[in-house]
Amino acid sequence: MKKYDTIVIGAGLAGLTAACHLAQTQQKVLLVAHGAGAVLLASGGVDLLGYQPVDSLTPLDNPLAALPDFLADNPDHPYRLLETEQIKTGLNQFLALTAQSGLDYRGQPDQNWLLPGPGGAVHPTCLAPTSMIGGHLAADGGRMLLVGFRELKDFYPKLISDNLNAQNLGQKSTAVSINIPAPLAGQMNVTPIELAHAFEQPDFRRAVIASIKGHAKGYDRIGLPAVLGLEQHAEVLADMQQQLAKPVFEISTLPPSVPGRRLFDGLRRTFTRAGGRLILGSKVTGGAIEAGRVSHIDIETASRSRSITADNFVLATGGIFGGGLQTDAAGRVWEDVFNLPVRAKTNRHQWFDKKFIAPRGQPVASYGVKVTPQFQPINGHDQPAAANLYVIGAALAGSEWTRGRTGNGLAVTSGVFVARQISGERSVS
Amino acid sequence: MKKSTEILIIGGGVTGCGILFDAAQRGFKTLLVERGALSNGTSGRFHGLLHSGGRYAVKDPVAARECIEENQILRRIMPHCIEDTGGLFVSAPSDPPDFGDTFAAACREAGIPVEEISVAEMLRREPLLNPQIRRAFAVPDGSVETWEACQSLVDSAAEFGAETLLYHEIVDVLTQDGAVVGAVAKNVITGQEITIEADMVVNAAGAWGGRLARMTGCDVTVNAGKGTMIAMNYRMVNTVINRCAPPGDGDILVPVGTVAVIGTTSVGVPNPDDYPIEDWEVELMLTKGAEMIPTFAKFRALRAWAGVRPLYQEKEAGADLRQVTRNYALLDHSDRDGVDNFVTITGGKWTTYRMMAEKTMDLVCRKLQTERPCHTAETVLQSHDPGKYFTVGQRLDKVETGQAEGQLICECELVTRPQIERRLAASDRNIINDLRRDLRVGMGPCQGGFCTYRVAGIMHENQNISAAEANKALVDFLQERWKGIQPVLWGQHLRQMQLDEGIYLGLLGLDKLPVQLSGTDTARIGEVETEGYFEIEAGDTPAPAGGSS
Repeated sequence: MKKYDTIVIGAGLAGLTAACHLAQTQQKVLLVAHGAGAVLLASGGVDLLGYQPVDSLTPLDNPLAALPDFLADNPDHPYRLLETEQIKTGLNQFLALTAQSGLDYRGQPDQNWLLPGPGGAVHPTCLAPTSMIGGHLAADGGRMLLVGFRELKDFYPKLISDNLNAQNLGQKSTAVSINIPAPLAGQMNVTPIELAHAFEQPDFRRAVIASIKGHAKGYDRIGLPAVLGLEQHAEVLADMQQQLAKPVFEISTLPPSVPGRRLFDGLRRTFTRAGGRLILGSKVTGGAIEAGRVSHIDIETASRSRSITADNFVLATGGIFGGGLQTDAAGRVWEDVFNLPVRAKTNRHQWFDKKFIAPRGQPVASYGVKVTPQFQPINGHDQPAAANLYVIGAALAGSEWTRGRTGNGLAVTSGVFVARQISGERSVS
Repeated sequence: MKKSTEILIIGGGVTGCGILFDAAQRGFKTLLVERGALSNGTSGRFHGLLHSGGRYAVKDPVAARECIEENQILRRIMPHCIEDTGGLFVSAPSDPPDFGDTFAAACREAGIPVEEISVAEMLRREPLLNPQIRRAFAVPDGSVETWEACQSLVDSAAEFGAETLLYHEIVDVLTQDGAVVGAVAKNVITGQEITIEADMVVNAAGAWGGRLARMTGCDVTVNAGKGTMIAMNYRMVNTVINRCAPPGDGDILVPVGTVAVIGTTSVGVPNPDDYPIEDWEVELMLTKGAEMIPTFAKFRALRAWAGVRPLYQEKEAGADLRQVTRNYALLDHSDRDGVDNFVTITGGKWTTYRMMAEKTMDLVCRKLQTERPCHTAETVLQSHDPGKYFTVGQRLDKVETGQAEGQLICECELVTRPQIERRLAASDRNIINDLRRDLRVGMGPCQGGFCTYRVAGIMHENQNISAAEANKALVDFLQERWKGIQPVLWGQHLRQMQLDEGIYLGLLGLDKLPVQLSGTDTARIGEVETEGYFEIEAGDTPAPAGGSS
């Protein structure tokens, strides 16, 4: 049986962050996942905290300062286990990781970027790629031109622009839709990923720029759907800004998310460069806890089931959406790998609010694994279920993220916290 | 505003639409008023079964005979609304063993073609059925597309000059010297009222008919019998499956488009506008489904909905609603209550709507002392695509051969942008639920996760509406869908819902956007009680096809 120092289960942002961090501390790390996590579906930003109270309509300028109030309102949120310095360390580690991955993320824990979202609502986020930060809605007036493509059905610039203007945020925005040039011309079902590949071709870019130029006069900056290249994103963005002679920024689209893909690809590359081993596409079917320790996990491979062992295990399989928690018609909620105790209601009536847009979120979204202050899952006697097992990200109880906008912030900070604990680094606190 | 007509029909279910066409074809000036969209009530919330009559053969031979006669007529006059699935009555191990012989004899007595087939033949036709089933009988059941049927009736009536007022609720019935002389209809979107003068008012308001009759002082008891159904995400049978047993809960499984619908329960409810779906009903449907198809629970339940059967009763209802007649009632209120120019038609089944319309108009003609024969049994209804029952396969064929132009906005149901734009251009309302009903937008497995935003974006670009109005259309539709999804949310479907939640809240920030309220006010969704937004569509999520069973 092959032996690792640490096995991380799940390749969402939490798992990737923890795995990268551990691999860089000379650990022998295996990252095993059934699929890519929600990072390919999300905006690409790291939301630490967007609103407090979570049903407030005013986005937070300073997420860190609002955390104590947020925790007073949401005492079960896993942020309670992290000290301010640990949150800062997590975010800074993420910035360092993205820099090593060729991704230009910017931001600081006490400041949110206020970015235009794909529906025209303000998206408050703490760390974001520079390409999206260009859309920051500072109250400085200014005129924005939002450009969409008629063939791209997942981006409606007029709706974004009208919604932004209706909120009187200080900017004045205008929308325009242009046709996609060759070689994608006329392809009415083009995806953001296909467009991102096309943007890496200089001829394609030139044709897009020519179409935009006629509309761009008098605007201070130009917003486009987030499709400005994948691997060559930095060059594409620089070229667009230079040729249009104006700042150009990206607005996230419906999934698949191009910024999410850049982040996933970048962190994955950093992980394997640091010597980490990655198995994607294999489901972890179970794990054994013997004498207070996880002895091994079982994974599905093409031909057979395989057992793998390690000194430490990190569970980053996500919540219900990620697949880390399973639910059934009888009202059962369970953790899928180790069958760890889960905090949940077993009456399905209590899982949901009667409104889809419930002011404080759907109760079911807060269900998850209960942990100790060291992020170790607890058994029925409030003791760690296994001395070498940790849980991070959306699998944690209390981690409802859609209302306060805390998802990737928890993924990154809990991931770094646990990684540092395993590698023996001490948090500054 | 004022209007005048000879015949005013209240209720846009299949019965009202049938009467509209019948009356218009007989040469009357006619007007139909419906408080929601066509087929918005019970007609839109059933399992879509075109009865052969087999279900009633043993207990109610009259109803059974009516069903088979009308079944054969509807196949001729609305072939584009009917899929000839055929039906099977199957004896599961727990069904009474001798019921099959009684059933077959009763079918023959009622004139229903019935043929016993071997269990091996049954399994050849429907391989997922329970191999423990002991006997199987084939009958000519079918499945109907209710929205297409109601629209075809209204379009065909319009050829004769008939008018239809949708999203108008009757707020008052006008009487003069003991006779009904008209009604006041209020536009539920703008609040504007219209006074309609009429020579004759026909109450076809179904489960809401008692409420309407009371506006004229007539005491009519129409009990609301709730029936809950679940759509599963897979068309696991191509034939309608019935239990060969006395009628009970969850004894019918109907293939409708890409899904299969199981139904129903039967529960009396005090208010036809408020009837929650209960967990026991969901569990019962899944259990009953597994008796017919052992792997039933392995398929994903997509959504649940309930409809209210109008069950007419002269006296107070007993406890067991299955004992209350499923037959229709036609009331002449001048004989019954001394109120002239007012008739009520209620009860009955979707399958017998045409006959009910004929009987109603025969009565109206007698009352108006005119002789005008009915021709609806011989008239093939108008349709946009004659003779063609809609399947998602037809759309797929068009998309694959390049005949369907434009973007695929709803990938699950293969709805294109030009289809949506044409539909929007033809309407003065911006209600995404209308598009769902007409085009099936948002009815597939993702339940509107992607296409709802796209439709709102297109609406906003094309319809010259404010962003706040587009946001409202989006929020209203998501809430409407939520009602139907929530009772069946677990497992993979719950994951799907969390993706939708991630998109609409996490990504789009819909909870932070301004939403148009009635009048000129806007508010952000977090600032007000959201119930108020959903006033247009009362009740629960409608079915993929529809009428009353």
